[in-house]
Amino acid sequence: MQISRRNFLKYCTMSAASIGLTRLDLEALAAVLAKPDAPTVLWLHGSSCTGCSVSLLNYVSDTAPHDITEVLTQSINLAFHPTIMALSGEASSAALHQAAAAGPYVLVIEGGIPMAYGGHACVVYSYNGHEVTMQEAVQRFAPGAAAILCVGTCSSYGGIPHAGSNPTGVVNVRELTGRPTINIPGCPANPSWVIWAVVQLILGNPVPLDSVGRPVFLYHANGTIHQNCPRNPAVGGEEAAGFEDCHHKCLINLGCRGPFTEAKCENCWNGKEGQGHWCIGVNAPCHGCVEPTFPGPQSFYEPYLPESP
Amino acid sequence: MPTITASIDPVTRIEGHLKIDIEIDTVNGRQQVVEAKAIGTLFRGFEKILGGRDPRDAAIITSRICGVCPTSHAYCAAKAIDAVCGVYPNTAARLLRNLVHGACFLESHLLHFYLLSLPDYIDGPKMAPWMPGLSFDKRLDPATVALLQGHYVEAITMRRLCHEMGAIWGGKLPHTPAFIGGGFTAVADADQVAAFRSHLVTIRDFITDTYVPDVERLAGLYPDYFSIGRGYGNLLSYGVYELDNAGQNVLFQPGVIVDGDGPVQAVDVQAIQEHVAYSWYTDTAAARHPAQGVTEGAYPKGDAYSWLKAPRYQSRPFECGPLARMKASGEYSGGVSVLDRHLARAREAELLADAMMGWLDELPVGAGAYTTCTIPASGVSSGLTEAPRGALGHWLTVEQGRVGRYQVITPTCWTVSPRDEMDQRGPLEEALVGTPIADAASPVEALRVIHSVDPCLDCATHVVEPGTLTERPSAERKERG
Repeated sequence: MQISRRNFLKYCTMSAASIGLTRLDLEALAAVLAKPDAPTVLWLHGSSCTGCSVSLLNYVSDTAPHDITEVLTQSINLAFHPTIMALSGEASSAALHQAAAAGPYVLVIEGGIPMAYGGHACVVYSYNGHEVTMQEAVQRFAPGAAAILCVGTCSSYGGIPHAGSNPTGVVNVRELTGRPTINIPGCPANPSWVIWAVVQLILGNPVPLDSVGRPVFLYHANGTIHQNCPRNPAVGGEEAAGFEDCHHKCLINLGCRGPFTEAKCENCWNGKEGQGHWCIGVNAPCHGCVEPTFPGPQSFYEPYLPESP
Repeated sequence: MPTITASIDPVTRIEGHLKIDIEIDTVNGRQQVVEAKAIGTLFRGFEKILGGRDPRDAAIITSRICGVCPTSHAYCAAKAIDAVCGVYPNTAARLLRNLVHGACFLESHLLHFYLLSLPDYIDGPKMAPWMPGLSFDKRLDPATVALLQGHYVEAITMRRLCHEMGAIWGGKLPHTPAFIGGGFTAVADADQVAAFRSHLVTIRDFITDTYVPDVERLAGLYPDYFSIGRGYGNLLSYGVYELDNAGQNVLFQPGVIVDGDGPVQAVDVQAIQEHVAYSWYTDTAAARHPAQGVTEGAYPKGDAYSWLKAPRYQSRPFECGPLARMKASGEYSGGVSVLDRHLARAREAELLADAMMGWLDELPVGAGAYTTCTIPASGVSSGLTEAPRGALGHWLTVEQGRVGRYQVITPTCWTVSPRDEMDQRGPLEEALVGTPIADAASPVEALRVIHSVDPCLDCATHVVEPGTLTERPSAERKERG
């Protein structure tokens, strides 16, 4: 497909400050966008809830692309995404294989990879009459990918399907493939973070990662939720003792994992950046959903300390 | 001509992983589906994920069963926690739960019709992921197709607005942390009520002026789909949207309807059994009430073909969803078919949006929505509600203050179940049989039947170890506000 990327470039220009692009980046982006063969995006769902895809549909910005429609029609070539693509059955898996064969692609993975039952706890499609497990699909498409983007905590670290006794033997993408991945954890992943990462990949920018594969810019560089929290006692907040009386109060005693969670969440969900909503804004403790320790065995409602490894 | 065997794998435009095997033959001069198997291809095992946790965590963990009906699970779990603690939520909690759950219902219905179903009837934009598209009988003129394409794009915005509306008190969607046992974390202020109302007016207008007329337009052009995809016509609803704090009155009624148009009967939860004859779980005995069930994966296993179990009510297969709710509530008088399911869903969205307007008027501003909720050392409880796609039940057993057992039976488990030990097909399988197929290489007619029941395999294909079923709270409940 012929991709019109004019608006995408406009988006990058206008939102350069918030997404951290330099003038040099923008010149490079213009060159990349002049080419009709920017990476195709192939999206695989494993042991997931589809919540990260739903979250991506919630993408909204003041600048172009303004929403997911513009992303899909003007920014990327999403050749395979089972939740929204028109094709069904083997025609859809054939489209996946054709797109992978045609050229460079970004492999996006949502969900963990179950290894139990020979991988048959998650069969993702049939191809040439053969049932393909998530394990096989990731092993098939990871080696040829220009980059692997793990969207959400499950593909990044295992997440909730990996919790407890890990009944289906879920592993994350790095564990399965041994390949580097760019991890965009969150339960779900914040759509603005996902689009930021896609921009970096289109640019060919290096993306500095922290020790658990997350872009430093999106996570570590923001400090902890607690450090920036308007309810932090350091800036005059008062600690709540119970949910009976917690409005506008610090939730540290109610299980908040904010001191151990590095992300920029405040008013960054379900709305334009800084104009949206977030967990603490509705008096709910941070559950630390972007961390490899999520969910962990600890209660979400008792004072939190990460388990020592 | 020999019977043609076809697989649709993956079934796209659903949530989760589903494969459908069909056999196609010519009967009475018409090529049609003569056999069908619905194969759920994902197993996650949430019971073992929840076992031993703080019971209050269930609302957070079970939300992640499904990214499309997360609030239904969070709400259902919160109800089970309320019950085991012996607490009724106060008025603010009931209304905030209804409003955020309602926002997600509307989101799901709009997503389902426009993004998941409509591409079975019209071509999308001439680019991936809509092209290449399906080959099918295109009965809509170019102007109507262009109109519906425009509505598809509008619906993408409208469903986002639904989540932005719900997040006003949900904080983050999908997967809100605001549903807790005992109530709800948020405290509403007047500005938030105004913002919610502004969104709701926009969404309700879209439902009334666009969504409902579009479904009716489609029905006018595909009237044959009023007699395609009926299946058994057995409908089940648990009821949803409490109108009083004890949950005695609800907006959409509970009920059981046998064979399409029988009288609405009361639901007897004790009449539910789960079968595993064709499911990849160890056979331990004959069909069991969930209270005695055992769930251990067994793959491969003989003739088994799905990770879904087969719940049955009085030994019969039942489908659930908006059509069941609307018929049980006396709000829909049509039959059971592909188009009846779409029409009931659209009209339900309209009724719900109107009811939400009323709940906004009732919502006490500035009122706390949490009633102290203390987990007992031991106890047994349940939460029953409805997800957008049908009857949802959570069953909780607390032992030594932790989750002993947790069980979920989801709507798609009912509707997309495999055969049972009496060899009765599941409801979707039965609905597929008889579907006319023009081109066996592109069985779009079967896809239309599949999409009409709004399958959500993320929900369906976790199976959990059953606990003891009970409908009543374990202690006398207290209520505040």
